[in-house]
Amino acid sequence: MAATLTNPLRVGLRQERVIPPQCLIIFGASGDLTHRKLIPALFELFLQRRLSSEFAVLGCARRPWSDQVFRQTMAERLQPTVAAHPQAWEQFSQGLFYEPVDLQQPEHLARLAQRLEQVDRQRATRGERTFYLSVSPAFYGSGARALAGAGLLADRQRSRLVIEKPFGTDYASAQQLNRVVKSCGQENQLFRIDHYLGKETVQNIMVLRFANSIFEPLWNRNHISSVQITAAETVGVEQRASYYEQSGALKDMVQNHLTQMLALTAMEPPGRFEPESIRNEKAKVLQAAHLASPEQPWACCVRGQYGSGGTVEHPLASYRHEPGVAPDSTTETYVAIKLFIDNWRWQGVPFYLRTGKHLAKRLSEVALTFRDAPVRLFDAAAGGVSANQFVIRIQPNEGATFRFEVKAPGSGMRSRPISMDFSYDESFGEPSDEGYVRLLADAMLGDPTLFTRSDEVEAAWRLYTPILEGLKQSPDKFPAHPYEAGTWGPAESDELLARDGLLWRRP
Amino acid sequence: MVPQFTLQAPLKLPPHAVTNHLQQLWEHPEEGYNGSATFTLVVWEPAWLEQHLARLGLLQDAVMGMQRPCLVDAARRAIGAYGLPSATAPLSSTLAQALATQPGENGHYEDLRGQTIDGSISELQPHRMITLAPTIVSDQPLDALVAAYCSLPEDNSPGGSVCGDVLVFRGGAGSIATELDLLPQLIPGQLPCWVLWEGALGEHTDIFERLAAAPRRLIVDTALGDTEPSLRILAQRIAARQAVSDLNWYRLGGWRESLARAFDAQGRRAALNHVVQVDIDVEGDQLCQGLLLAAWIASRLQWSLRAGHRQRDSSVYRFQRPDGFMVDLRLVSVPVGFPKPHAGSILGLRLLCKPPDGRELCVVLCGEASGCMRLEGGDISSRDLVEEIVPLIEGSLEVQETRVLAGGHDTTNPLLATTAQLADQMLAATAAPTT
Repeated sequence: MAATLTNPLRVGLRQERVIPPQCLIIFGASGDLTHRKLIPALFELFLQRRLSSEFAVLGCARRPWSDQVFRQTMAERLQPTVAAHPQAWEQFSQGLFYEPVDLQQPEHLARLAQRLEQVDRQRATRGERTFYLSVSPAFYGSGARALAGAGLLADRQRSRLVIEKPFGTDYASAQQLNRVVKSCGQENQLFRIDHYLGKETVQNIMVLRFANSIFEPLWNRNHISSVQITAAETVGVEQRASYYEQSGALKDMVQNHLTQMLALTAMEPPGRFEPESIRNEKAKVLQAAHLASPEQPWACCVRGQYGSGGTVEHPLASYRHEPGVAPDSTTETYVAIKLFIDNWRWQGVPFYLRTGKHLAKRLSEVALTFRDAPVRLFDAAAGGVSANQFVIRIQPNEGATFRFEVKAPGSGMRSRPISMDFSYDESFGEPSDEGYVRLLADAMLGDPTLFTRSDEVEAAWRLYTPILEGLKQSPDKFPAHPYEAGTWGPAESDELLARDGLLWRRP
Repeated sequence: MVPQFTLQAPLKLPPHAVTNHLQQLWEHPEEGYNGSATFTLVVWEPAWLEQHLARLGLLQDAVMGMQRPCLVDAARRAIGAYGLPSATAPLSSTLAQALATQPGENGHYEDLRGQTIDGSISELQPHRMITLAPTIVSDQPLDALVAAYCSLPEDNSPGGSVCGDVLVFRGGAGSIATELDLLPQLIPGQLPCWVLWEGALGEHTDIFERLAAAPRRLIVDTALGDTEPSLRILAQRIAARQAVSDLNWYRLGGWRESLARAFDAQGRRAALNHVVQVDIDVEGDQLCQGLLLAAWIASRLQWSLRAGHRQRDSSVYRFQRPDGFMVDLRLVSVPVGFPKPHAGSILGLRLLCKPPDGRELCVVLCGEASGCMRLEGGDISSRDLVEEIVPLIEGSLEVQETRVLAGGHDTTNPLLATTAQLADQMLAATAAPTT
């Protein structure tokens, strides 16, 4: 895509909310997420002047680092960003601190509480604290308990707890974890993060639907025949084999990211643009959703696993040959699921969800296909009339496309489809923020709109429980069909739609 | 959340007794009272206009030091009652100065400056708010008023209340200046301190210099004083690397957003490289806001100032674009019958672009209430009028102040820094004798 000109007048004009002075405490500060996402997001907020001068980041992990080592490590790992803004980094890094903490050691928590008091005084952070659990999911519950036990979540207005995904491994574990964390703090203190919700276009689904009068009258079973939600990746499992072997595509992507996109696409309009109104509607629609055949979940769910593929120049190894993957692994790297939503708006409209690794193209999108015109007056130039389609592109090239029929040039009256396209990059003078920038800012602002509430998380797990239980009880009914790396997934996935007379989009 | 406050009746003390009283007030942490570790806010709140309106019986309310609708209404009545030009902006220093010459003691008023806290500011739980409230009686001795306040604890919330205190020093400006040495011991060194100068820049410079010493962070309003001292002081403070926020700059937000929006569309962005003329109309002859808008456009488009000269009702500046072409920027003072509260508000903006492809673009922005005045004339009807955008954003003074205090920075916003420096240069260019 050609580079677009930026709008010099747009710089510094975002109507952003100001993040109050505070201390962000990252547990797992020596881990990948901290230097890949969290510190870069904070530095971006700093560059945008959205972080107050009175901010602090207290990194916590078991490694015996000092403040200086933490700062140095972050500086090294954030190159070349740091090199591009040396002065800003110098200022920013003065707010980085480190405290060796093992959350399982009560005396460490006591020391942490003292250190936080000290940082509060040193940086005038006003006692505002956001605790970020970037640790192994196995420690979410015990970590929350440890913080609550040390009294660090006692201030319900000024302390918050952010928990990374995955929140539980199934419905029962999610319920159990919810019980634990809710005993440690109030729901308004808990921020269950799903970084997909930080993407501009995911939020734009709500704006498109509820800020325009042209879409909502069509946004229902009377006009929409099917919905496809896709999150396709071109990369393989990379360095995450140990995690991925336990989760697979269903738990890694579908239960959280795709289900959140489903909820935003299908929810009813909230009464107000307020966190609880929005989360109520999302929870309601997820509670009304169910697998197309919950009694026989294998009939509406296709699992796949990538085999070798690629080109002679760039060969791609099969999943089972990836480092850290069992040679007989049956973990799915692809999954396609058909759902229905039992409510007045969506009764009878199939929702198809798919995600996979090593697919042909990297893209995430929501595609709504409209019903055919009741009478066909014109022949199509290409043989068949294409259904109208509205596609919301989450990534890359964030935007939306509306496809409809127009008269093909010439003396006849034949139609052909064209697309009206909206691209964020082209329409606005500056690129949108990375998801973590938005979500970290919202957590520090105490705004839970883009975070999942306990009932949403549980409803999402409940939705896929028949598949998860089926996988345990009758794994042979859920084979992981092989597919060639670099293609659009197994043929069985195409058959899932072919039975309904449909095709997956291959954009 | 809007905190509730238990506000004591303020205790009147001699100024020198304040420090001891505060020590006594906070020496019982075991009772659960903890001073909030947030920030100190020092406010210079002359409220000259409000005091004179109250003195003359035109404001039937206490003097609060807040820009309330009843204050603007009373000011508009005063403009009529004393035969001032209808183009006088209600909150301008011109009006306050004119009223100061009017004799009369028709009103007995209560002075509550510094004793009420706007909800949006109290929500930030300032550690200490110190209000310097000069009276219009210049030789009035100094009183100190002290009150503690605590936000009420939330239900079941453990721990003590977070508390702060409110100090008011009220008296003649001379008395305040004499006792100003008390101030450093009342400002905790470890917490950020903002100085909110709610008077005109250029008045009581001795007090200003002592009050606004770095590293205290300054909040000023260049709409309140005359153009030259306001912009000069703003630029000087920024050049000295002090953190400065200008409320007048925040008021420009809508205009900047509207103009940027006109060029968001990809097809129009290139036209920004081919601007040939900019006209900005402002209300009256207070030019700060107009100069800031002009300087912002010029600095964002990387134009270099080459010359400026002042005509009767306008200032004309010549800039050079990066490609060497010259751009004329005209700032015109327009008298209006019903001006906005602040002097020098922008009325309209016209920006002409002539790309080499011949597709001219003319962007016109007009004020919400006033519409396009002078800019509707001329020959723009023969050009391509593309946008007429209405700015929408003008929060209250307190909301703007809160925005600054909530996201505190110890440096000046780089956009404002660049803009203010260029605006000051533009002003200097027109002050120089025309050759």
